[in-house]
Amino acid sequence: MVPTTVRAALADQPVADAVCLEAGAGVGNTTEGLLAAGAERVYAVTDDPAHARATRERVGDGARAAVVRADVRAVPLPDDSMDLITAHGLCNVLPPDALDAALAELSRVAAPGARLVVDDYDPLPAGARMREVVALANAASDLSSGESALTFYPARHLRRVCEGWGWTVERETTLLEPVPWTPAHVRAHRDSAREALADESNAAAAAVRDALDRLDPTRAAGDAGRMYSLAFRRPA
Amino acid sequence: METRPLGETGHDSTVMTFGAIALNWLTQEGANQMVEHVLDAGVNHFDVAPTYGDAELKLGPKLRQHRDEIFLGCKTQARDYEGAREKLERSLDRLGVDQIDLYQVHGLEYEHELDEITDDDGALAAFRDAKDEGLIEHIGLTSHGSPQLILDAIDRIDDLETLMFPMNPVVVGKDDDEHDYAAVLERAESEGVGTLGIKAFARGPWGERPEADRPFANWYEPVDRPDEIRERFDFAAAQGLTSVVNPGDPKLVTMVVDAARRYDGMDDAAQRALVEKLRHEESPVPEQLHH
Repeated sequence: MVPTTVRAALADQPVADAVCLEAGAGVGNTTEGLLAAGAERVYAVTDDPAHARATRERVGDGARAAVVRADVRAVPLPDDSMDLITAHGLCNVLPPDALDAALAELSRVAAPGARLVVDDYDPLPAGARMREVVALANAASDLSSGESALTFYPARHLRRVCEGWGWTVERETTLLEPVPWTPAHVRAHRDSAREALADESNAAAAAVRDALDRLDPTRAAGDAGRMYSLAFRRPA
Repeated sequence: METRPLGETGHDSTVMTFGAIALNWLTQEGANQMVEHVLDAGVNHFDVAPTYGDAELKLGPKLRQHRDEIFLGCKTQARDYEGAREKLERSLDRLGVDQIDLYQVHGLEYEHELDEITDDDGALAAFRDAKDEGLIEHIGLTSHGSPQLILDAIDRIDDLETLMFPMNPVVVGKDDDEHDYAAVLERAESEGVGTLGIKAFARGPWGERPEADRPFANWYEPVDRPDEIRERFDFAAAQGLTSVVNPGDPKLVTMVVDAARRYDGMDDAAQRALVEKLRHEESPVPEQLHH
């Protein structure tokens, strides 16, 4: 099933007959959306083995779809080869330096005149209950790897980063407002945070683990914030 | 309360239709109060059926008192000429009125039923004769069936003036043909057919819970908080339906009335937020971290 967010983000894009790259394939939502909208071929790039498997099971790996196991900062595809690039909910899992490197790489493979669609979340507003979940996810990730798990970049920030790599913004739309953070999301983030802390034994890790144990997914969930879509174009 | 043209019937229906099945669970006095309550809010379109227990009888007194203020829809599950005629006469009798404004084929489910009702001896022939006699004014159809079946009905019934079918964020979020009621809405609009939305307030099936232990008189579990009722109403009305029918339990009606009075649109991002929330809530395992 293609989420309404994906459908809305692609609605005004020239997907038909385009060669597409989906950066950060997740479970294949956008890849399926691109195929449904008539893409000639979609390269679904992800470095996560579970996501690669999920996407492959969902869309197959054949004439129109190829699941590519790779870091979005080093995509094994030629220069100037993609007509349309999508990054649906990707940037928030990239810390600032990785974000910049990823956009450099995506810009390298983009053909002249190519389109880029970047969908992500504005920072959560003050008072949003989901902020506690994000804070714990980031603390867990920082303790284990030294990097944030989630960074919600304001739309204007991603706009500037992309402009810095030669893209011209064509439109900004709101995909979700408010963003429905459900108990399922809380549980998913809590479980990844626990996994990140699995091998950590210091006092800070113990404190974060305790806080994760006390997290009530139903109470921590709630509608908050905005998910936006930015569409860019490269000079022909 | 906002009104919208009911297709090409010439009637402007309020954005809420009163589903009079709610009267079945009330005493006559309570039913009278309920009718006054929805009329006070400005609701001008009522819908009833002979299969709703005593609803026709309990609607009768206030319907007759306020006949000019109410556009009355009724329906029949009979598929043949004789049966449809009998049921129509029975409903007129039980309601105590001379005319039903909108008479509908009730609950079309299978393709063979479409053959039956469109046959020379079918229910629609009885509807047309009744229309010529002035017993009914307009012809409609209701269905929880597949969108394709409803589209076929639009194609095969030239004098169809209204359709009643499910519309809610769960069906909108599913992009397969089995749930494509949006296609029905689109076709109905282009053919000038009025549209009435049902199941707008469905949360999901009751599951294992025995009927005697259910807290609401609906065959599905409804949403039951004012904020949920309001977002569901807004969503259904924002899809472009002529009117949205309340869930059948009388405890929920006043919340729907309130939502209908306050309705002033719902933007696309908020509609998608509701669709995505329900999609993620429905999913038994977390699909992924994002939307």
